[in-house]
Amino acid sequence: MTADVPGHGMPGPEAPAAIPAASGTAPDGEWLRVHPASPFVRGWVALAAIFFFFGRDMFERMLQGRPVFEQELAGRAPWLVAGGGIVLVVTVVGFILTWYFTKYQVSEGYVRVNSGFLFRQQRQARLDRVQAIDIVQPLLARIFGLAELKFEVADAGESAVKLAYLRMDEARQLRATILARAAGVVPDPARPLEAQPEAPEHQVLSVPPSRLVGSLLLSEQSFFVVLGGVASVILSAVTENRGFYFYLIPAALGLAASYWGSFNKGYNFTAAISPDGIRLRYGLLDTQAQTLPPGRIQALRVSQPPLWRIFGWYRIQVNVAGYGILGSDGEASPRTTLLPVGKLPDVMSMLALVLPDPGTPEPGRVFAAGLDGLDSDGGFVTTPRRARFLAPLGWRRNGFAVTGTALLIRSGRWWRQLVMVPHQRTQSMALHQGPLARRFRVADLVLHTTTGPVAARLTQAGLDEARTLFDEQSARARLARKRQTTEQWLAAVGGPAVAVERAPVVEPVETSPAETPVETNHQQEGTNRG
Amino acid sequence: MHTEAIDPPGITWQRVSPKYVTVRLVQWAIGNVAAVLVLSLPLVFVQLGWWRWPPLWLAVTVPAATLLLAIWRLLLIPRQVRAIGYAERDDDLLIRSGIFFQRTMAVPYGRMQYVDIGVGPVERGLGLCTLKLHTASPGTNATLPGLPAGEGARLREQLAARGEARLAGL
Repeated sequence: MTADVPGHGMPGPEAPAAIPAASGTAPDGEWLRVHPASPFVRGWVALAAIFFFFGRDMFERMLQGRPVFEQELAGRAPWLVAGGGIVLVVTVVGFILTWYFTKYQVSEGYVRVNSGFLFRQQRQARLDRVQAIDIVQPLLARIFGLAELKFEVADAGESAVKLAYLRMDEARQLRATILARAAGVVPDPARPLEAQPEAPEHQVLSVPPSRLVGSLLLSEQSFFVVLGGVASVILSAVTENRGFYFYLIPAALGLAASYWGSFNKGYNFTAAISPDGIRLRYGLLDTQAQTLPPGRIQALRVSQPPLWRIFGWYRIQVNVAGYGILGSDGEASPRTTLLPVGKLPDVMSMLALVLPDPGTPEPGRVFAAGLDGLDSDGGFVTTPRRARFLAPLGWRRNGFAVTGTALLIRSGRWWRQLVMVPHQRTQSMALHQGPLARRFRVADLVLHTTTGPVAARLTQAGLDEARTLFDEQSARARLARKRQTTEQWLAAVGGPAVAVERAPVVEPVETSPAETPVETNHQQEGTNRG
Repeated sequence: MHTEAIDPPGITWQRVSPKYVTVRLVQWAIGNVAAVLVLSLPLVFVQLGWWRWPPLWLAVTVPAATLLLAIWRLLLIPRQVRAIGYAERDDDLLIRSGIFFQRTMAVPYGRMQYVDIGVGPVERGLGLCTLKLHTASPGTNATLPGLPAGEGARLREQLAARGEARLAGL
């Protein structure tokens, strides 16, 4: 249909090279269709609704041994049947047309999708701009062995490219091809059609179901549930009004649904590492497999609700450009969860995956201090003592530490949090100070990152420390940006073999004597005039 | 109150046009005069005997308090406008604002995704414009109001050129 205009709207110098390659000479740019069954899998609700609407009444009558149509309607029965038939045919034809006009192509650094037959849409996305690539299998698709492929670029709205549905092996093949091209693997010109092998991976951790259940029972949500339950029991006892119990019934139903949702999403969570990035798999009925290419994580938060401390559990959430905050169903997206619940070693290994070069000689100590440390252990700089009235509980904990590659922000005495922002992912920064904070000579530093659940805000740092950090962080981010030159990660690390068994520290961070990896104590002494 | 600026020392700030005060005054008038008038309505009705509730003291206090707040805000406007400043450094643009609630923001040129220039009706009359910088983060709320139109255009070109030279990915 539209295969003759593949270069439409293509910007930049690649255009002349890409047009001849894509216009049919190279089979690389072949246009493909999604699986023919996919509109039915996607639209089964519509079909079911039609059958339900027209069929239920007749079916009931047949069961009861009455005539299929009521007497007064019998004359109009053919019309009813015809009407139902027409709706059905129109829906099915619509499905088929949608399927026929949806085509995709992977070629020359772009993935393109054409869709729609009344309102045509052509979309192309640059492969090296991939932020994440997900394979999603809703229950019904899973039964048929189909899967949906989602290709995310840095646009917090919808997925850039959504291919629903492909056969599972096709989807994985396509993912491997896209990731390989995005990584900078040049297709063999003699055999461009040859599929790229899937990058080898090895599993790093998994979450046992028992721990998932435990984490749900001890979550913040449960805390408020118990609180609400106790409150309503007390209220009804005091006021002798049984009405309060009735509020518990819908609340319990909603809660059960929400717990089930979390369980369904978090079940069988496994994380693996491959040269293409971090692979996450999870789901009980609907399964998802996410791939986050290296360096795509914009910010990360390790948090621990108070009750999780009993078992030493943590949760990791991330900001990835393209994921946004909300999932397609409007709820908090499980896709931004890097680890639903894990123990300290799990957290450490995930941190090692996200930040292969921690930029400090003893990452274990620094991260551990960030997770549950107080005061200056691990090189953290906390809220100065003079401001302890502003944060009577948290002042010994609120603080920051700088490594050669990332800024760590720690906060919360009860609701512990550790936020990590890689230097090269810092977008912009702001210092804030209100009148009260000025009275105590403290200031807040906010690092702006892409849309997501993680907000990087350093609260109540001493004014001098905050000002120094503001200046130095700009410089560090600038250096890190210069060092990172390419979006193609294989080109950056030197090859697929190197990527997996890479030593923890690849390059020594350029350090001047004043810039030792954990340098914050030094600054504090140097600048504290107080 | 002793005010110590939070921004890094040794920066010469460029200030926005003093004419921007007029823009703020118009915005102030539209918002606050309307609010005070609407809140005074119960007082009028009570005086006319149409309403029995609210009591007279309440009908007086609410608009009076609103008026006081509005006047307070009015008095702050010139100071607030004077507090807005920007500085072009080698690698980033610094924007500061506020006196009570201070904010200093650094937006690296390489992180800018696009630059907006907006001109409202009042601004157009005064030859001013508002510059807005966007990065990949929605948290970057970097707005520079009250720039003279020529300076706004120059800054935009300058930012675009520097952004191109230092462009980084995400």
